Amino acid sequence: MTPSRLAGSLLAVLAALTVAGCASMNTGSFVMRGVDFSAYRTYNWGPAETMATGDPRLDNNRFFHERVQEDVEKHLAIRGFEKRTAGTPDLVLHYHASIDQEIDTSGMDQQYGCDDCRPFVYDAGTLTLDLVDTRTNKLIWRGWAERSIGGAIDKQEWMERQVDEAVTRILEKLPRRL
Amino acid sequence: MRRTLMTSTLALLAITTAGCATMNVSSHVDRAVDFAQYRTYEWGPADALPTGDPRLDKDPFFQDHLEGAVEQQLAAKGLARSASGTPDLLIHYHANISERIDVNRLDRERGYCYGDGCQVRVVNFEAGTLVVDIIDARTNRLVWRGWAQHSVADMLKDRDRMAERIDEAVARMLERLPRSALVTSGGSPAPTGGK
Repeated sequence: MTPSRLAGSLLAVLAALTVAGCASMNTGSFVMRGVDFSAYRTYNWGPAETMATGDPRLDNNRFFHERVQEDVEKHLAIRGFEKRTAGTPDLVLHYHASIDQEIDTSGMDQQYGCDDCRPFVYDAGTLTLDLVDTRTNKLIWRGWAERSIGGAIDKQEWMERQVDEAVTRILEKLPRRL
Repeated sequence: MRRTLMTSTLALLAITTAGCATMNVSSHVDRAVDFAQYRTYEWGPADALPTGDPRLDKDPFFQDHLEGAVEQQLAAKGLARSASGTPDLLIHYHANISERIDVNRLDRERGYCYGDGCQVRVVNFEAGTLVVDIIDARTNRLVWRGWAQHSVADMLKDRDRMAERIDEAVARMLERLPRSALVTSGGSPAPTGGK
């Protein structure tokens, strides 16, 4: 390993630590009022989404997309849902990932004092999961997670861990079936 | 105190993630695939996706130079262009240019200003991303994707600069491709642009 490459790895680790240490994940969900989740047992994936993610590294990237789908399937199985590929399932699932550049100006809040009062730019990744009732064709639940992704896409394992965490946190919001 | 720590971490983060001055190269790989099984490749159907910039769409110089650079690196990896019409691998590429912003990073890095003398300045730059996809022709599945990202401001009008950047991007990207068993020489590819 050359010194410059070693320095590069150290920097990457450092960046990983700083991101992991300070960037928190925001999650949220909508639920259609009056929906009885115990009525749903089976699901399948809807047609693949063609919308661009906003990051060419992720568009049509099966290493990303398969991880999302595997994670969702794993969690839904634990929750008692069954994937049904033949016939009409109770629910159709869609998901969408997007990456946007955002500016944070909170550091400029000089009222409380700051060492380095500059805004900073970061990449925010958002993963949204939709559940659609196939009988009514209505969205009954949407969950999402958003966070600063740092350099996660450039490190496959790191990206996978972030997807795992996002899917876990999103599906924690899904109402329990009685 | 906590706030100070947070701010410095964020500043560090901003510096480490802003990928404008140096080329950012990385890749994803199917870890279950043995790359030694692959011997031949062919170019897949041309990408219909626009690059996001008319200066690069259908630019024959860009395409020719890129394809030449990829072929050269694949040859060094022991992969040959298919003569039979049934290649093991299909190669695709996609170039994209998008507008990105940065906050007066350069002023500080280059020492143009110090402390309070550094005014907040938002810099707009055009970030280019080159993605190379390698697909198993039999399963039609993506087995490897590599990419390189760099600001394109200085190369759209300068063919020599563009050629240099393409060479660096392709060499550093494909250096990450798992090696085919056909490579017999012991030396690893010369490291390029490792500064």
